[in-house]
Parts: sequence; structure tokens; C-alpha cells
Amino acid sequence: MEKPKIVEELEPFFNPKGVAIIGATNKKGKVGNVIFENFKVNKERGIFKGEIYPVNPKLAEIDGIKCYPNVKSLPDGVDLAVISIPAPFVPNVMKEIAEKGIKRVVIITGGFGELGEEGKKLEQEILQIAKENGIRIIGPNCVGVYVPETGVDTVFLPETKMDRPTSGSIAFVSQSGAFAAAMLDWAAMAGIGIGKMVSYGNKIDVDDADLMEYFMYDDQIKVITLYIEGVKDGRKFIEAAKRVTPHKPVIALKSGRTEYGAKAASSHTGSLAGADVIYDAVFKQTGILRAEDFEHMFDIAKAFAKCKLPKGDRIGIITDGGGAGVMASDAVAKFGLKMANLSEETLKYLKENFPPHAVAGNPTDVVGDTDAQRYKVAIEGFVNDPNVDGIVIITLFQVPLLDEMELIEILADYAKKSEKPIIAVAMGGKKTEYYAKILEDKGVPVYPTPERGVRAMAGLVQYAKYLEKVEGE
Amino acid sequence: MKDEALKVINDVLAQGRKALVEYEAKQVLKAYGLPLPDEKLAKTVDEALEYAKEIGYPVVLKLMSPQILHKSDAKVIALKIKDEEELKKKWEEIHENAKKYRPDAEILGVLVAPMLKPGREIIIGITEDPQFGHAIMFGLGGIFVEILKDVTFRIIPIEEKDAWTMVKSIKGYPILAGARGEPPADMKAIVDMMLRVSQLVNDLEEYIKEMDLNPVFVYNEGEGAVIVDARIILK
Repeated sequence: MEKPKIVEELEPFFNPKGVAIIGATNKKGKVGNVIFENFKVNKERGIFKGEIYPVNPKLAEIDGIKCYPNVKSLPDGVDLAVISIPAPFVPNVMKEIAEKGIKRVVIITGGFGELGEEGKKLEQEILQIAKENGIRIIGPNCVGVYVPETGVDTVFLPETKMDRPTSGSIAFVSQSGAFAAAMLDWAAMAGIGIGKMVSYGNKIDVDDADLMEYFMYDDQIKVITLYIEGVKDGRKFIEAAKRVTPHKPVIALKSGRTEYGAKAASSHTGSLAGADVIYDAVFKQTGILRAEDFEHMFDIAKAFAKCKLPKGDRIGIITDGGGAGVMASDAVAKFGLKMANLSEETLKYLKENFPPHAVAGNPTDVVGDTDAQRYKVAIEGFVNDPNVDGIVIITLFQVPLLDEMELIEILADYAKKSEKPIIAVAMGGKKTEYYAKILEDKGVPVYPTPERGVRAMAGLVQYAKYLEKVEGE
Repeated sequence: MKDEALKVINDVLAQGRKALVEYEAKQVLKAYGLPLPDEKLAKTVDEALEYAKEIGYPVVLKLMSPQILHKSDAKVIALKIKDEEELKKKWEEIHENAKKYRPDAEILGVLVAPMLKPGREIIIGITEDPQFGHAIMFGLGGIFVEILKDVTFRIIPIEEKDAWTMVKSIKGYPILAGARGEPPADMKAIVDMMLRVSQLVNDLEEYIKEMDLNPVFVYNEGEGAVIVDARIILK
């Protein structure tokens, strides 16, 4: 695939050689200080490999790093500017940036279009300068970019208050900065790896369509998640989504579903949210999976990040607790999937290798006195059964004879070698959470309830069906 | 296709109007080959009698006035007219009703139409979204659209596979597929109509704001469909 221009255009946002931090300061807790510190600390850690150039006319240095009085005095080689000075000063700085030849700008500052006509005028002024000089802008009114792998971190919430997730294969795009920050913090706790995060705020230039297209060519990214309040250029969005979804899954969470919510959205970031039914139509037409809420979005994203795609919608369930198996079967029906009919061979194999009180079937119940090897028998049977397209394994780690680590190794091994998607459900408390985390680190997505696990599997099935339809053309 | 439709639209715009009356809307649809009843616009009662004879009784009269867009409310529709006698009587009646409803009503004529064989009712519509442009809507007509809101949208232009997905995605699909021993409805005709509407609106997107084909009667497989009433609102 020949890469389009947008890939080259956006690259410095995620991996700059030199970053100018305009509005950097030594006053702790100020936006310009947090961003500067983020880059500085990441450079000390050896993650950020570019140069850091703070710009502030009142300071000679910040924390031992030379400070520049203005953009003009910066050395050559700056390919990204991060602006956190007040809105009215931004147009002048943009002119200096244009003269200096810097082509990528993140404008963190708020006080633009979201406040009304005055702010919109400022945005127009900035955009004009950008267009005339081939500059691409993320923002304004945003938290910008976070890339764990390259150490780019313009999120102005300090590490002491907000944890950062580790690197992974999920791209996360958010219109809202607050939501983006909260999600990063949560993802860090939940152990969800984020490849790249962009929060674009008022998106006067770089938008969802551009970012989707960029991530399509980004080898690290397996799945793209979008939190959208309103799309500005609908046709561009549709065209881009149609190009991207046949190659990578895109999951969207669109707020403003209700009339009331829609009003709140337009007063929030100054964007006009279209009618919800229209978004529904757009998502269906372009193969974007629509998430109900953030849990749903990351549940599916996690499945895409770790699982293979199913060949069909026939689900097999293995459990060590009858109730959980029933809940999972209910969820299979609720989310439009089918319960697999196990083949005669599989049933025979299970019965031969199970003690008489274990239940061979779908769900297969290895029951409460199970050990890890009985699970292995069940998984072996399901993996080899041509009637099973995807496997949901419920493990109540609490049962007495189960060696947790042995089971985790078995699950990870099958998840790796089987062609079918395998997801795990682990219900319980702190001890369960501990083992669930180990299992996830070994590449198996784990969900806290059967319903959420099956719903994530349904996301995989929905996308697999979409691909089949597109490829059939 | 586009030129014929545009002529109708420009005439309406020249009169300072934004809403096409049923007859005008159907002229636009006709230009794009959409299935319409065999009906004619009569300016006088004598013309109406002549057309009714050609069409064959029973017939329907619908009075066309730019000031009366809700014809049922104004009682300017007369159904199941069985002979010349009744036609003359109804002609007077709907004109009087029009005057009562809107004394300033300008009358463009009366549409003389055949009594159509009832079919399964569907609705096809167009709305314009500020971000995404025109979207086409499909649903079953009557209470399904009004109370259950069992409709589905896509942004135009749509492709054939989109139209099929739309038809199959509504909750009431079994009614079209043939429930309780009924033969399936002519879904090919529905898909064909949707594709024609999509092309029409795509060609004329700078003129059209909204559109309703409601109701459309769909007959059994292979027997086609017919648009009973239509509205077009211009920008």
C-alpha cells in the first residue's frame, strides 16, 4: 500500500525530532510546566529521544534546560510546537511559527470557538496562517497527544495525579480532553495498552478522518477507538471510514444520543452534533462499530487487540460454575450470536476424558472440583470442533483444586496456537483480579462478567461479518 | 432525467414556493422512472370526467393547492367515486371544502387517479443533516412509522447492498418477507425505488431539503409497487 500524504504530515506529532514548548514555565502545576516536565522526564528515562526547547521570554532556563525568548531565536530542527499561552496571543505566535518553518502545532489553550464568535474569529485567523504555510494543527482547547513508545506527552495533568497507560495496540481518539485524561488514567489501572492517544478538542484542522487514515498505516495499531461529540465534515468522515474499516476495526462512542445530551454537546466544544439516527446510519454504512458506553468501547477494543477474528457466530462456552454458564448463554442470545452445536466427536472426546459428574455439552461445565487439566480437555475439544467459531471460557478461580497459574498457562497457550478467538471471564474479587491481570498480560482478554465477555465476542463477530461482506464485493 | 425534474423545480421556485404539491412532486419522481399511478391533472370538471372515463371507475379526486399540503385535514380528497354523477358532486364538494379550509387557496387543478389495489404500505423519505448531507429513510408505513418508529437511515448515495440491508434491518421485515402464509412482497421493487430516489437526490442535492413518499403500496413478488402520495420540500 502506498502511504497517503497524511501519514507523512502527521508523523511529527507522534515522533518529533525537536519540540518547542511555547509557554513553558517553572511554576509548578501550570499547564506549561506540566507539559515541559512530561517531556523532560521522558527524556531522562530515555523514552523521548528528541530535543526539548522551552520558549519563555522571562526565563533563561528551566530546570537546567536552556529557554528561548521567542520562536525566532529557536535553533533549526524543531518540527513540533506545543502552545499553552493564552488564546489572544496565539495568532502572533502562529505567524512566528510559520516564519520559522515549523509545520506541526498542538494548541492546548482553550478560549476559542467553544466560547463564541470572538473565539471563532481567532480560530479562523490561526487556520488561515496554517493553510497558507502548510501547517497542520491539533486543537485548540485540547490535551493533545500521548505516545508511550516515543515519550510524547502533552497531557497537562501531572503524573502524580494521573497515571499513564503502557504501550499497546489501541489508538484512542477523543474530542473531549477530560474524557481522554480520565480514560488514560483508567486504562493504566485496567492494564489496557494504548499505542497512541490524540485529543483534538475544537479540531479546527486535524480531525477524526485524518487520524483514522493515519492509524490505518500505523503498524503498531490494531484497533482504532473514537470518542466523538460531533463530526464537522461529514462527507470526509464517511470517505475516510470506508477506506479504513476494511483494514482495521474502528469503534466509536458517540455522545449526545438524546435530545438533552445533544444540546450539552454543542455548548461544550462548540461543535454541532447531528441527529443520533444519522450517526447510527453513518456508522452502519461505513462498518464502524458503535459502542454504548466507554466500558463497551474498551471491552471490544481489548478483544481486537488480543484476539483472532472468528469465522462465524457460533459460540462455545466452558465454565466451572453452572450459573455463570447460564448467564453467558443468555448473553449469546441477547447479542445476536448462536450457541454452537458440538460435534459428536467432541462430545465423545469430552465424555471419555471427563469424570461422570462433569457436563459435556454447550455450555460445558467442568464443575467445582475441576483442576486445570480438566479445563485443558474441554478447550482441546472446543478448539478442534468445526462447529465452534469462538470460545468463551469462564473461570471461577476460587474453586479449591484449580491451580491458577497452570490454567493461565493453558489458556495463553491455546489463545496463541488456536485459529479461534478465545476470551476469558473471571468473576470475583481481589484475588481474581490478580490472576486476571496475569492472564491478560499473557495475551488473553479477561472480562469481569459473562455478559461483558460475550458482548466483546459479539464485536469481533460483527466486524468479521462486515469484512466478509466487503471482501465479497 | 435531471433536466425534466429541474424544470418542475424551477417553475415552483419561480412562483416563490418551497413546497411542491403532490402532482409536482410526482412529476419530479416520474423523471427518474419511479413507479406512479396512471393519473392526470384536470383543470375543469369536464376534463375530470374525460380522464375518469379513460382511467375507468372507481376513481379518486385530489385537489391540488399550494396552500393545502395536508389534504386529508382539509377534506379535499374524494375516494371510490363510482360514476359521472358522483364525480360531479364530489368535484363541487372538494372545492367548497378547500375554500372553507383556506379562503385564499389557489387551486392548480384536481388529480384524477385510479382507486389502487391495496398493498403492503411502506415509506421512503429524505432528510438533510447539516454534517453528513442527505439521508434516505426506509420503513413500513402507517402505525409502524408513526408509533413504533421502525425506520432505518443511510447517507446517500446508497449502493444496492445498502438498500437490501435497510430493507432487511427493520423490525417489521417479516411482514415484507411474508408472515403467516402471505407471499413475500416485491422487495426488488423497493430496492429499485430507493436507488432511484438516492440518484434523484444526489443529482438535485442543492435543491431538495426533504422528501416523503408516503404511502407506497408494495405488491407481491414480481408485481411491483406504486407511490400513492408524495411530498417534496425545497431548500
